[in-house]
Amino acid sequence: MKLEVKETRKKSITVGYLYESNKERLALTLLNGETGFEKEIIDKNFHRPGLPLAGYVDLFSYNRVQIFGNTEVKYLRHLSLEDRIKSFKRIIEFDIPCIVVTSNNVLGDELVQLATEKKIAVMQTSLETTKFIYFLSDFLDDQFSVQAAVHGSFVDVYGIGVLLMGRSGIGKSEIALDLVERGHRLVADDVVMITRKGEGILMGAGSDIVKHFMEIRGLGLIDVRSMFGIRAIRFQKRVEVVIELTDWNPDEEYTRTGLDTEGIEIVGVELLHVKLPIFPGKNVTVICEVIAMNYLLKHYGYDAAKEFAKRLEAVIDEKSKRIGDRAINYFEHDFE
Amino acid sequence: MFEVEVIIKNKAGLHTRPAAQLVKTAAKFKSDFYIYKDGYEINGKSIIGVMTLAAEQGAKLNLRFDGVDQKDAAKAVCELFDRGFDEA
Repeated sequence: MKLEVKETRKKSITVGYLYESNKERLALTLLNGETGFEKEIIDKNFHRPGLPLAGYVDLFSYNRVQIFGNTEVKYLRHLSLEDRIKSFKRIIEFDIPCIVVTSNNVLGDELVQLATEKKIAVMQTSLETTKFIYFLSDFLDDQFSVQAAVHGSFVDVYGIGVLLMGRSGIGKSEIALDLVERGHRLVADDVVMITRKGEGILMGAGSDIVKHFMEIRGLGLIDVRSMFGIRAIRFQKRVEVVIELTDWNPDEEYTRTGLDTEGIEIVGVELLHVKLPIFPGKNVTVICEVIAMNYLLKHYGYDAAKEFAKRLEAVIDEKSKRIGDRAINYFEHDFE
Repeated sequence: MFEVEVIIKNKAGLHTRPAAQLVKTAAKFKSDFYIYKDGYEINGKSIIGVMTLAAEQGAKLNLRFDGVDQKDAAKAVCELFDRGFDEA
């Protein structure tokens, strides 16, 4: 099953935005002021232009952030000034977004001047190349990740990210509130912002404006954080289980053993999907806890449904060998 | 499915009162109602959802109605936007 949601992904970020959001974390200094701040970065990958500097510009990924590490800088330095300018000019002929020089390396005024003429920002960082790449990839991955707003309530139950879904008014918020009352932590209510991180991981969070606010029908808006305190909330959580609350429908088939579970796909990631029919008098909160614990057990290698099936098979196997057995044997002379 | 684009006319934007008015109006109809803005689509029957948009004056919203009474729902909701939620 696939959940239909509108996905969104940033098409580009400007060089200025990259600088402003990371100048402290990435220890960046500008070598030619705010030159080329309006240029756009459209790729989440970076590039180390060793080969283009050496003269091979076929397949040059020029539209990525260009990182000059020790190798590039040392290579340029070993050339004569004339050759150095020629080599550098070769790559800035391309429309590259910006250049970052790592490990406090120096590019030289001549080259920075050339970059300024081409309106290309040159930044310097005190971080080593590997560390810089690690942080930069993390930032760009996040910026260019796929996002979607999902209608539901999102709670951390025993450390498992449980997303409650279902039609408007079925009681998602009330169940979330009940879970909070029992010591679990609310991540978001009504609007859950989902971000795909790497392959197969979804992170959920509330939107910046309505963080930890909740609407209870007939009561209005409440603030879970000020009401229940810091222990009752959480800013983000990996989404692991989707519980879909449905009105009880006698014509629909629900799983009885838990062996035939079907997943749900949300923005390209497959998650465990539990369809939970609800009716008055049913304690959905406890069932949500049980679902989370069952998921935990499975995570630790114990699948109750499979274990039961195994036990049953063993008994049947045993029985086929013996005759006249009863379903249960009481302890002898124990009448308690 | 029925889609329509609207523009926020009132000066204060889609703040708490208009948002409440909007979800109340939408809730009268059976059709699903979604609002699309800046890449995100939210459920128009959820007050938290509508307030997440923080739509300012002049903002463009794409409304999507889906259900048996989609035309009536669209008419009622669009009227609210046209009137600027009875605000200046």
